[in-house]
Amino acid sequence: MRFTSSRTLKAGIAAAALAAGLAGTSLADSANLDQFSAEELLPLALKEGSVTVFSLSSRIAKVEAAFEKAYPGIDMIGVDLSSVKQIARVTAEQDAGVYAVDVLYMADTPVAFKELYQAGRVHNYVPPRIAAELDAKFQAPLLQHRLSTKVLMYNEAAYPNGAPISNLWQLTTPDWEGRVLMVDPMQRGELLDLLTEIALHPDEMAAAYEKQFGKKIEVDSDLNGAGEQYIRDLFANDLILVSNSDALNKAVGDKTLKEAPVAFGTYSDRRDNEEEGWALQIANDVEPANGILFPAVLAIADKAPHPAAARLAIDFMFGDDSANGGAAFAPFNVPGDYATRKSIADDPDSVPLDRLKAWTIDPEKTAAARGRIADLIITLQ
Amino acid sequence: MTSLVAAFHHRSGRALLAPLLLLAMVAVLVVAPLLKILVATLSPEGLAAWNTVLASPLSMNLWWKPLGTTLILGVGVAFGCLLMGGFLAWLVILTDLPGRKFIGVLSTLPFMIPSFATALAWGTLFRNSRLGGSAGFFEVNGISIPDWLAWGLAPTLIVLIAHYYSLAYTIIAAALSSVGADLIESAHMAGASRKRIFVGIILPVVTPALVSAASLTFAGAVANFAAPALLGLPVRMQTLSTRLFGMIETGQNERGFVLALLLIIVAASFLWASDRLVSGRRAFTTVTGKGGRTKRFGLGPWRWPLAILAVAIGIGTTILPVIVLAASSLAPQSGALFSNWNLHFWLGEAGGQIAQGQAGIFRNPVLIEAMWNTMRLGLTVALLTVAMGLLLAHTIVKRKGTLIANLLSQLCFTPLLVPSIAFAAAYIALFGAPLGPLPSLYGTFTLLVIAAAAHNLPFAVQSGRSVLGQISNDLEEAARLTGAGALRRMAVIVFPLAIRGVLAGAILVFVKMVRDLSLVVLLFSATSPVLSMVAYRYASEGFMQFANAITLLILVICLAAALLSQALQARVQKWKQP
Repeated sequence: MRFTSSRTLKAGIAAAALAAGLAGTSLADSANLDQFSAEELLPLALKEGSVTVFSLSSRIAKVEAAFEKAYPGIDMIGVDLSSVKQIARVTAEQDAGVYAVDVLYMADTPVAFKELYQAGRVHNYVPPRIAAELDAKFQAPLLQHRLSTKVLMYNEAAYPNGAPISNLWQLTTPDWEGRVLMVDPMQRGELLDLLTEIALHPDEMAAAYEKQFGKKIEVDSDLNGAGEQYIRDLFANDLILVSNSDALNKAVGDKTLKEAPVAFGTYSDRRDNEEEGWALQIANDVEPANGILFPAVLAIADKAPHPAAARLAIDFMFGDDSANGGAAFAPFNVPGDYATRKSIADDPDSVPLDRLKAWTIDPEKTAAARGRIADLIITLQ
Repeated sequence: MTSLVAAFHHRSGRALLAPLLLLAMVAVLVVAPLLKILVATLSPEGLAAWNTVLASPLSMNLWWKPLGTTLILGVGVAFGCLLMGGFLAWLVILTDLPGRKFIGVLSTLPFMIPSFATALAWGTLFRNSRLGGSAGFFEVNGISIPDWLAWGLAPTLIVLIAHYYSLAYTIIAAALSSVGADLIESAHMAGASRKRIFVGIILPVVTPALVSAASLTFAGAVANFAAPALLGLPVRMQTLSTRLFGMIETGQNERGFVLALLLIIVAASFLWASDRLVSGRRAFTTVTGKGGRTKRFGLGPWRWPLAILAVAIGIGTTILPVIVLAASSLAPQSGALFSNWNLHFWLGEAGGQIAQGQAGIFRNPVLIEAMWNTMRLGLTVALLTVAMGLLLAHTIVKRKGTLIANLLSQLCFTPLLVPSIAFAAAYIALFGAPLGPLPSLYGTFTLLVIAAAAHNLPFAVQSGRSVLGQISNDLEEAARLTGAGALRRMAVIVFPLAIRGVLAGAILVFVKMVRDLSLVVLLFSATSPVLSMVAYRYASEGFMQFANAITLLILVICLAAALLSQALQARVQKWKQP
């Protein structure tokens, strides 16, 4: 953390020189490196001396401290950047022939998948140590570190008998007109992903419609399926958009509220309930689903200047074999988020992952469908 | 073209060398990144984006409606700011208003308070039940607030005026303070009425300042994101800047770039039109070096009512947002601003029950380092930008009406309208690779400074212009005849006379630099952060209290800088001392 810019400059020059030196053999090397254990990576990583990580979360500072304690001699440089900025920066850097970052830790996977993975700007790497502990779906196309949520949240103080919503279609009825909130899906990618996921489940949305209203759904001629119809009906029912999750949580969560609205928000924000005077709770038993689970992924940048240290860092971030993952994973172990690694237990207060009624997004499918849904939303705003 | 030729005939070829150099500099700093963005919209996806934005079923919601809202905001804010900023500047500089020094300081502050704080302050007072959550002050006290006053165009307009009028004040006050006393004095002696002096002398003289102020506030309002996002979204009001941000945020870069380019075209044509509007008038040069202290207008019985009005404006737009920020940094629950205050977010030790065990900002070791980095960055960029701005403004003013001057003036204005993320990406692309004999600037402080200087150029140039426009050519002419070189003339004549405008520009740039984040975050590769990055980290983790504490700290730094510059100005312009 204590880098003056001149030292960084020197480090950058050294890194560039190293990258140039390795360029000829890097392909063969990286194939081998992928099979190396942490013990085998360590001496190479020590020789490299540092590793630069772009992270979507400022909690990277804690990982950095833990990493430098575990591996003295390797300097982790954590840079706190939103996923969108990571994509912008890596693209611009690589186009300019600068290869400065080693590891990217990011969400917004549909965009990352298209702009980075398919464009060959990042590569997938699964540490051999934990490969057996991850479901196959978490290992490709990009390694998934943990899952976050955008799900239906309600106020448990205003509704002490449980969630007022049991079917997504209820939100399109007059009872909930102007009482459903969401961060503008055109400002935040995760919400766009949520609506895209709804559109990708037309049959389930149609079945839920029939369950709610007792008749078959009629879909407007310009729309594809019940999911897109749902999006249009939801906006038509005066869906309220806000600019950030703080405004959203205050509007829904305030525990003094009587007629509280509901919102598509983040499950793990529930951890702030006590401190903020909120009563946020997840509405889990919702037909056909209450929202989405989306991954935070770890990837290695193309021509990473510190290939061994990069792999060692990713290996490290999956934690040790204890139930909370130890110092390396602890910063990310928050209730309402889910580790992909099986040995790390979920928080006892949260709904277990296998009982959570949320769809898990498939970055590839979402990436393909996202543009159409974005266009649909623009016409509805 | 004819004007260029005329300029050529008028002066020697050598005299044209300097402006051409400047043009080249601006080309590298401003035009190249713009071209980079333009080229990105000429790919197949980019051309599709042009089509989507301008001629598709989406155009209405993506371009036309946001454009309409944006123009209303821009024109409304520019107009409101001129009225408020101009009125206050007149009171403070030219009248015998009681407490004018205090009011003067108060009037420069709102620009240093981030617009989101002003928007939050508005919410604290006027928020209604549309969003759920706790109601605002008025609703709690039984006064119901309609949606149009709580959300959308009206509150956005008011909040933006409250934020940007101080920009207009700063520029107009700088120009007013250089109106020579001899002019007003002689008009008095000739028996002109106050109204006639105002309309006949003061107004024409400050016209360049008014145009500068209008342009900057227009552009600022048009590019502002926080206020329309916070206050407009709940009623689905979109401006071009919220659309633009959204496009880039959801990975639709080409559409975002297209919107940015269109925004530049619209704003540039407005600027051009306003330039046309006033260039029909003759330019007045008033500062001839002899001007003494300005005699003040007596306000008579209006002294106190006007003073109260001015203080009320200051309190409403300055103190109120600051109170909201301060309260937020003291209240453990972000929803209940005025209860259970404590100093944990400033001084608390780590490991307590509050804020997930995080220590207060003054116990954060990164903070002190961040403060130094911030000062270093802010000062370097402010000095560089002002130097560049002064040279450019000088050229633009002395060659008024020529092609080169028009070109420079338009180009210097555009960075204000380019989204920082696109600007930064273009800079990495341009200077990331070694350029001929020059090494790659990637990740260096230098690159950050260059990009930031270019991005802030509009402030320096505009505030320099409004003052330089009044300095008479005679002075320089005389110095030239006695053999003084260009640099010497700049240092001994132009700079001291223009010091107030120059410092005003420097402060604006410094404030922008200390406060702004998006440009820095993309170009700074070292982990040693600046204050705005620390604030962003806290905010992104949901610790608004910490973020607001740092915002207050930034405000204090800016205020100190502003006071310092006033002291400096007094030292340089000794002839104005009584």
